[in-house]
Amino acid sequence: MRPLLRLAVTEMKLFVREPMVVTFVFAFPVLTVLVLGGVFDDDDPNFEGALPSDYYIAAYIGVVIAAIGLVMLPVHLASYRERGVLRRFDVSRYPRWALPAAWILVATIITAVAITVLLVTSHLVYGLPAPDNLLGVIVGTLLGAFTFISIGIALGMALPSARSAQGLGMLLFFPFFLLGGAGPPPDAMGDPMSSITNVVPLTHVVRAIQEPWLDLGTPTGHLAVLVALAVAATAGWVTLSARSAG
Amino acid sequence: MTMVIEVEGLTKRYGAHVAVDGVGFTVTEGEIFGILGVNGAGKTTTVECLQGLRRPDSGRMRVLGLDPRTAGSQLRARVGSQLQESALPDRLRVDEAILLFGDGDRRSADRLLETWNLAALRRSSFASLSGGQRQRLFIALALLNEPKVVFFDELTQGLDPLARGEVWNAIGDVRDQGATVVLVTHFMDEAEALCDRVAVMRGGRVVDTGTPADLIARHAHLTTVTFTPPVSFDPATLTDLPGVDNVERHGERLRVIGTNQLIAPVCAAVLGDDQLGPPDLRVHHPDLEDALIALVSGLDPEQRSERAAGRTPQGAS
Repeated sequence: MRPLLRLAVTEMKLFVREPMVVTFVFAFPVLTVLVLGGVFDDDDPNFEGALPSDYYIAAYIGVVIAAIGLVMLPVHLASYRERGVLRRFDVSRYPRWALPAAWILVATIITAVAITVLLVTSHLVYGLPAPDNLLGVIVGTLLGAFTFISIGIALGMALPSARSAQGLGMLLFFPFFLLGGAGPPPDAMGDPMSSITNVVPLTHVVRAIQEPWLDLGTPTGHLAVLVALAVAATAGWVTLSARSAG
Repeated sequence: MTMVIEVEGLTKRYGAHVAVDGVGFTVTEGEIFGILGVNGAGKTTTVECLQGLRRPDSGRMRVLGLDPRTAGSQLRARVGSQLQESALPDRLRVDEAILLFGDGDRRSADRLLETWNLAALRRSSFASLSGGQRQRLFIALALLNEPKVVFFDELTQGLDPLARGEVWNAIGDVRDQGATVVLVTHFMDEAEALCDRVAVMRGGRVVDTGTPADLIARHAHLTTVTFTPPVSFDPATLTDLPGVDNVERHGERLRVIGTNQLIAPVCAAVLGDDQLGPPDLRVHHPDLEDALIALVSGLDPEQRSERAAGRTPQGAS
């Protein structure tokens, strides 16, 4: 096996051995599906004309993406720094970029697997509508996942310890979860809450998936926000990583 | 002699604090070279510069003829490092760690696990290993890929005496296999047992370099003999004996200070009629620890002898 592949496989094993990852990335989103899909009546008018269970599909996907970017990656990376694992890699034969590259690859694979588990569960319980614009859904999902993976790496590089990463991760995860699309529908919220949802990055991920799936509009603005966030987060972690040497 | 490491005028500042201040030394091939000093002397920073983990502000360094600042990736393939305060992920297993940092060859990984007595632990997670087992794993990781130079930083920190002994034997084996070893430590018995040459650091500078015996001879030449004399004994008879510098009385006990040659005459002088000496007689030879204390404390020889003598057990019988 080639060294970089071996590194990615090892990192993958370490992520999935972490109980918190299994809980937040795999179990919690499935639980969300089962609860949210059944809460509202099918003729509830707050869902832009869509069925509530259809409307929430994008939100489930958003939950997976947020759990990976806000909980899984920051805690893993911060513990690597805190415990000197990064220094060990610095004196190993792996080039400096190998570890971030492995994280991006592994997090993308875990995202794909967790989303598949979700969609299968959702389909079996409530049935899934065919996406109106499949390419748009894929673009939105990939960009959303990449943006949150970049944010996760930046947070992991910035925070001093696994404990602080876990604290901040949770502090961000639950508001993002509730306001980003998995909570009450925006039409049911008052104006102030509804405008707060727009500053939550996860909202843009959910809308970028939801709009092409249910034919609710063209998410150009949301995609632009995600690109900007991804660029900022990537620049952030590259700078932090370069600064840690020396 | 081939120079494996050359350091000259190495300086590293953290803000206003000068951690390493013009450090210079050389390490020749096949040597075990010790870098000694108390905490905060700049030992680890010096080694981290050589490992390419830190960028010095000025100075010249060569490891295997290469500059760690510019040839980092070439050096990493030929240099092994055991780092201070560096763990592995809790859920990483022993065999996974060896495969991850090695060349991926299962057979050579198995051989290494056997050599370092880790074979039975191959499926154990890092978190479940004891301190001694972790250090053995770190040594095995540092020796993966047959490095030409190996850095060990505080190798036996936190180990019990039995585990320390095992690790010491292991370091000897490493050198016997042809690698050059740089050992950072503040355990003087470790340096005395293992190192061919040592550099002593204080406040970011190298204050002396040489073999352990050189340093002991230069900085810790005083031997101390302590005992409780018979009631009738006259201490004045000791002062004229060869090698004796000073005789002090501390309560019941006498302390005789001087060179190594005083031991036999002093012992002869205190023999009783029954040809038995005082049961509490203790001899303290100058060792590397005395030399280090002298070098890093900057005390004059008189105060040093006080200190050295103070280390012999007073109330022992």
